[in-house]
Amino acid sequence: MKLKKLISLVIGLGVLSSVAIIYFYIIQKDFTKQHREFLLSLNAFKSTHIDLEHQILQSSIYSYQNQDEMAKNISSLESDYRILLESQILKDNTYIQIRDKLQGLEKDLKKHIRNTQNYLMLNASVKNSLVFLSNYIEEANFLKEENTELFRHSWQILKNFNDAKLMQDIDYINRKNFLLSSLSKDEKVQDFISSFNLHSNFLIKNYPPYIQTTKSILSDNTRENLEEIKKEFSNLALSDFKALDIFASILFSVFIFSLFFIIILFLKYLRENKKLQKTTASLEYSLTHDQLTGLQSRAAFENKLQKTAKPHLLLANVDSFKCINDIYGNDVGNIVLQELANIIKTEFSNKKNTSVFRLGGDEFGILFDDIKSQDAFELAIKLEKKISDHTFLIYELSLHLRVSIASNFIAPILENTDLALKHLKQDYTTRVLEYSEDLNLKTNVEENMNIVEHIKLAIKNDNIIPYFQPIINLKTNKIEKYEALVRLRLADGTILEPFRFLEISKKSSYYHYITKAMIEKTLKMAKEYPKYRFSINISMIDILDAKLLNMLCDTLKANPDVANRLDIELLESENLQNIEAVQDFISTIQKYGSKVLLDDFGTGYSNFSYFSDLDIDLIKIDGSIVREIESDKRKLHMLKSIHSFSNGMNMKNVAEFVESKEVANLLYEVGVDYAQGYYFGKPLEHPLDSDEVLI
Amino acid sequence: MKKIFLLHLIILNLYAEEPISPIPLDIEVNHAKVDLGKKLFFDTILSRDNSTSCFSCHNIYDGGADANVVSVGVEDKKGNIQAPTVLNSKYNFRQFWNGRARDLGEQIHGPIENPVEHDMDAKTIELRINKIDEYKKLFNEVYGSRYITYKQVMDAIVEFENALVTPNAKFDKFLRGEVALSKNEKEGYILFKKNGCITCHNGINIGGNSFQKMGTFMEYSEDSNYPDRSKITANPNHKNVFKVPTLRNINKTAPYFHDGSAKTLKEALGIMSKHNLGIILKEHELEAIIAFLKTLDGELPKILDIK
Repeated sequence: MKLKKLISLVIGLGVLSSVAIIYFYIIQKDFTKQHREFLLSLNAFKSTHIDLEHQILQSSIYSYQNQDEMAKNISSLESDYRILLESQILKDNTYIQIRDKLQGLEKDLKKHIRNTQNYLMLNASVKNSLVFLSNYIEEANFLKEENTELFRHSWQILKNFNDAKLMQDIDYINRKNFLLSSLSKDEKVQDFISSFNLHSNFLIKNYPPYIQTTKSILSDNTRENLEEIKKEFSNLALSDFKALDIFASILFSVFIFSLFFIIILFLKYLRENKKLQKTTASLEYSLTHDQLTGLQSRAAFENKLQKTAKPHLLLANVDSFKCINDIYGNDVGNIVLQELANIIKTEFSNKKNTSVFRLGGDEFGILFDDIKSQDAFELAIKLEKKISDHTFLIYELSLHLRVSIASNFIAPILENTDLALKHLKQDYTTRVLEYSEDLNLKTNVEENMNIVEHIKLAIKNDNIIPYFQPIINLKTNKIEKYEALVRLRLADGTILEPFRFLEISKKSSYYHYITKAMIEKTLKMAKEYPKYRFSINISMIDILDAKLLNMLCDTLKANPDVANRLDIELLESENLQNIEAVQDFISTIQKYGSKVLLDDFGTGYSNFSYFSDLDIDLIKIDGSIVREIESDKRKLHMLKSIHSFSNGMNMKNVAEFVESKEVANLLYEVGVDYAQGYYFGKPLEHPLDSDEVLI
Repeated sequence: MKKIFLLHLIILNLYAEEPISPIPLDIEVNHAKVDLGKKLFFDTILSRDNSTSCFSCHNIYDGGADANVVSVGVEDKKGNIQAPTVLNSKYNFRQFWNGRARDLGEQIHGPIENPVEHDMDAKTIELRINKIDEYKKLFNEVYGSRYITYKQVMDAIVEFENALVTPNAKFDKFLRGEVALSKNEKEGYILFKKNGCITCHNGINIGGNSFQKMGTFMEYSEDSNYPDRSKITANPNHKNVFKVPTLRNINKTAPYFHDGSAKTLKEALGIMSKHNLGIILKEHELEAIIAFLKTLDGELPKILDIK
């Protein structure tokens, strides 16, 4: 707010001083121009006046001269005066007194011009008469000898006239006798005297006005008056110049003031800018850096990746980091991450074109620019070894960590590296893996992505089909039953096993159609093969599906023969939450003559309590036990116990995943009722016509 | 101080440089305006009864003045003074005998508006001249306006008058050192200076640069009522004071003086020397001075060569 005010002030001052400068410039220019013009006009007038006077003097000296210049000067004097009087500056009230004074000169000027013209007239005739007399006397040679006195006197008179002209004194003429006279009777003499006296009388008459005119011309004080006016004008102008000076000083002060404010503003701007830069830097830092470890963040990574010409990424993930947090708490977890970050930082701090990032909770990325793939892989191995050799000492705890590191330079960098890392995580024996297209990770992903589409298509095209796996009665060694196992047939004929689609289908709305198709198709097959029993897998979702349940009941009711040969396998992994619903289902099924089998017994959270609540007819011993009874005595013991338990509960049992003769033999020994597995037969599209076991 | 200076100078020679200067051979004029002005100068529509043109009283082919004692204007009305020559009039310091006009631009309105000369007014002139297609065309070419104004008409005539100069008089050639004067002419020029004629008749126009009294030395017709200088200044001493007339082409501008009283040069010289110089010239002196005056005849103005 204060800054804003300051800016407004500076702008205001700037505008003000700009306007003032322009105003000052115009005023000053105008004034000096007018001032100069007035003085020039005044000087021109004065100099014309001087020139005229000079010419008047010349005319009094020379007998004759070219008067053109003088005529021109007289009219110049008048026009110069008019120009002077009309000077622009005199229109200003300040100079009104100058104008008045100049106007006062007009009378004198007119008089001067009039006097000059009169002088010229008088001067011409006076000069002419003087020249005449001088010529006249000179030509009167006869006098020299005949009348010397008269001759001398005539010269004397001419001399006196000339002297009087020089002296410009009327008294001089009055005191002397300027006329000739003679008693001579000579006609020549009397003619001479009469002509002489004619001119002499003319001169006597004209001398007084001539001298007076000359004097009044010489006494003209126009120039003195002009000097005075000029002085007065200069005094007045001086105060104007002073005002201009003051104005200029004010202007200068305003300018300095503005400059001062601008400097303050600039300093303030610099300070604000510095602050802003600091804030921006810290904001940028927190945007691009992880607070916990101080490493660069994921955002920074993405930014950096874009600017990297030949990127190569190492992605390191702490194995089971969640356990550390769970067991020791987040504090310890954070310290572990910090220490781990330091290890990685130290390892790569000296390497050129290498940056370390924290990309996720326990995931670190090392990004190289332009590195050989082999070198990156070796660095990854070195890092992995360093971390696994490191002992993390925290609050008297000593921890050891393992990390998995994926290495990759194939775009899209992060996605591919991540795929490789995920793949790596499933393999406990490998710690460092280089991504390659050969790993075929991408295909799987694509398939998974498309699986829902496949399910949709398969249901539409009736491509959900049962495969039948034979179940052997170990007492008779004959095929007695077939378990219907769900398969999905792709458009190209590829058969997908349930682990590929069943879990996904359960999360979709299509699961219901799969079960329905299985029931319909298995019952149809059961009708074709009346000598075998058939079993179908039913999950908790199915049991809770009233519509499906109705359909099943209707089918069983309609086909009592088939119903008697049908086993319903309850998938225990589903976690039978609603026991009452399950028992209702079991009762209903059993009513139609079907039997109920509990699947996957002996794994997960198998619960004996089921048996007190549910009327189970058979149990299926889980493959994870059966598979290892030959190698693991404990598993064999578990098998024996389950067998003995089911016997006691009056339930038959089935062993699955029988894949070798040895296992089969052990099952014979223990006395397990039924068995299934690759050893006895793989799932087939159709049950075999013969119930003989082909081994 | 001034007087000492004066004292020294007066003893020095009477002759400075020659007090007469030649007419320049080339003068600057606007030729288009001059042509137009020439046409107007000869046109009688500039007088009320279409009788009188400028040329009527200013025969520029023969001296530029009127051979009559007084000029005849509209309805044969007579003027009150002898018409001075229009030739070289641009070199006069004032116009009219008594100098009441400062220049030709001021002078021209005089005869145009004078009831005994052209008896015209601005409005009538504009009305008449704007009716004539040829003038409309010419004026448009020169002034670039469709309507011809009185001011433009006067301006064109003045520009023509400015072109009316008569260079290359024998005396001018002598001044330029191109020719020599005859013995008689030279004698006349010396007498012209010695007797003081030169005191008033000097400069480029050999006169026309000052006022002087007719009858300085001896009073000349006291009771005449000519429009002299006293009519302007109201000064009784200015009775019979006139602008000194030019002597160029004087041989061709008879009759002489404001009253046209002298029919010949000899007559005029006699009157002038008696009344203004107080001299009686001898016969051979008169002849010599007349011979000199004849050398002042110049060539016809160039503009008049082109028909």
